[in-house]
Amino acid sequence: MTLLKVENLHVQFTTPFGIVRALRGIDFELDKGDIMGLVGETGCGKSVTGRSIMRLLDENAEVTEGRIIFNKTDLLRLSEREMHAIRGDRIAMIFQDPATALNPLFTIGGQINDVLRAHSPAPAAQRRKATLELLASVGLPDPAQMMDVYPHQLSGGQQQRAMIALSLAAEPEVIIADEPTTALDVTIQAQILDLLRTLQRERAISVILITHDLGIVAETCQKVAVLYAGRVVEQGAVAAIFAGPQHPYSRGLLAALPRPGSRGTDLKVIPGNVPSGLERIDGCAFAPRCEFVMERCHRLQPPLFSLAAEHQAACLLHEDRVHG
Amino acid sequence: MAEPLLKVRDLSLTYWRRTGLFGRGSQAIQALNDVSFELNAGETLGIVGESGCGKSTLARCLLRLLRPSNGSIQFDGVDLLALNADDMRQMRQRMQIVLQNPFASLNPRLKGFDLIAEPLRTHAAMTRETMKDRVAALLTEVGLSLDFMNRHPHQLSGGQAQRIALARALALNPAFVILDEPTSALDVSVQAQIINLLIRLQRQRRLTYLFITHDLSVIQHISDRIAVMYLGKIVEETSSEEVFAHPQHPYTQALLSSTPAPDPKSDRQRIILAGTVPSALNPPPGCSFHPRCPQVMDRCRTLRPELRWTSADHRVSCHLFDALE
Repeated sequence: MTLLKVENLHVQFTTPFGIVRALRGIDFELDKGDIMGLVGETGCGKSVTGRSIMRLLDENAEVTEGRIIFNKTDLLRLSEREMHAIRGDRIAMIFQDPATALNPLFTIGGQINDVLRAHSPAPAAQRRKATLELLASVGLPDPAQMMDVYPHQLSGGQQQRAMIALSLAAEPEVIIADEPTTALDVTIQAQILDLLRTLQRERAISVILITHDLGIVAETCQKVAVLYAGRVVEQGAVAAIFAGPQHPYSRGLLAALPRPGSRGTDLKVIPGNVPSGLERIDGCAFAPRCEFVMERCHRLQPPLFSLAAEHQAACLLHEDRVHG
Repeated sequence: MAEPLLKVRDLSLTYWRRTGLFGRGSQAIQALNDVSFELNAGETLGIVGESGCGKSTLARCLLRLLRPSNGSIQFDGVDLLALNADDMRQMRQRMQIVLQNPFASLNPRLKGFDLIAEPLRTHAAMTRETMKDRVAALLTEVGLSLDFMNRHPHQLSGGQAQRIALARALALNPAFVILDEPTSALDVSVQAQIINLLIRLQRQRRLTYLFITHDLSVIQHISDRIAVMYLGKIVEETSSEEVFAHPQHPYTQALLSSTPAPDPKSDRQRIILAGTVPSALNPPPGCSFHPRCPQVMDRCRTLRPELRWTSADHRVSCHLFDALE
């Protein structure tokens, strides 16, 4: 069942250098209970997509087109007041750097208590019990003691756990996790990813996991959308896409990864650079770097073509499959 | 067999932290603890470990940017710790370092030409014409066009800036280059370009690399040998193939299993370590990994394991291998 649907989302930023088109028509759906990866390199628009859903874009950003449908409501049409009831309550977000996302002046228990109080009129004793349960559910040792510690007294991994506990406090349906483990060591990253999987399984929470790491997608997500220059170039079931990527960009990304046994060989390289967002792009944004480029790729912006039940790619190489 | 280019013996470094009122007390932090290894000319040794394991401290000690408290470093037969400042400065021409973030390590006010020419000005007397030719040759070697002579760091992408940093490191024709997380700040497609470039440069110039990273997939691609560090010590060292095929130390096994593999079909056993790396301020007794070790035994809690050869090619510091004696 589709829980959240992003349709043709366009976002642009006004900068001193001109207008930067960060999102140029993002389309994807998040199914209930799934972990969906948004993956791509720097500047592809994955974080802007997450912030657009939360309506947390900076002042100089503007949504010029598109819809974000959550439970039959277009989030983009809500007033700030109506959005306030959704943000944090029904859709929560966790960030890359928990040290800056947590308030340094309040204890962990105090911050969770604040969310609980805003969310429901339970008495203090009951809130305290709920806070302890939350802290325990994210695997923090000694929850009673954790109630009274400040963020700076925790390690990076513990801070991220506290952040997750905080985001769970209002029992959201969706969590948007923006590079939640990028600042952490790999053994700690493994713990946090394991926690996200457990929460998804036990609480049926749907997660949008924003990452640059294809390994994390493979191990954590059921679905994935690969972003390039503000558009989804390929999406579908993780198993299908990793087994047979159909867009030249996703194929290039997977081939560029060093793997066991690759020693001594040249890694595959995608020539050229990502377009800046300032340039106007008429056709496929990947065309200038694509090894299969055709003449019409420079003119036509390819839509997502369905290749299988859970596999779509935005590449003219697949045009015939749909039309005949 | 030829003598190793670099021989490190029992290298230790202790930082002292002042504590208490007016800083009268002090507390020891063992950043490096009896680190020993050898590195043959033309080879790459990968050092892998998590934050705080001492990998960057090790790099700084090798260049004598930090003075170790104990141990010896022999570079091409010369005892680095016995050199005076002038001789060390000469020696540094042959040993260079490339850091993770080129935007932090390159002077933002200098253009490409000056960035690359700076070491030439410091160490080699040459005319401006010769210098220009040298810089042009270096730019070509790292795959940049000559216009990059006139660009400031802020006009470069991450990959281009890292290429400038490499050109600068190679300007004095070093024999040995320390690469401290050189690709960690880069996107996947750019990372592949820089790794390919590093391998090509190594072949062409017969460079010896010490490659420091937390990323096991990158390190196995580039290294001949790999040393795994934990809390200031090498816990395992062997060939790149062997680390992946037969990891012996429980920490190495956990590290391998924690590294996400881009293969959703992989059904490998995940080992998820509990807890975090203990503080070097207050390291656990016995084996420093024992509080997190899934295979901990009684003696691990009290007895410090030594780094011992378990085969001609494989060293490990773990009591599980005591019986092999």
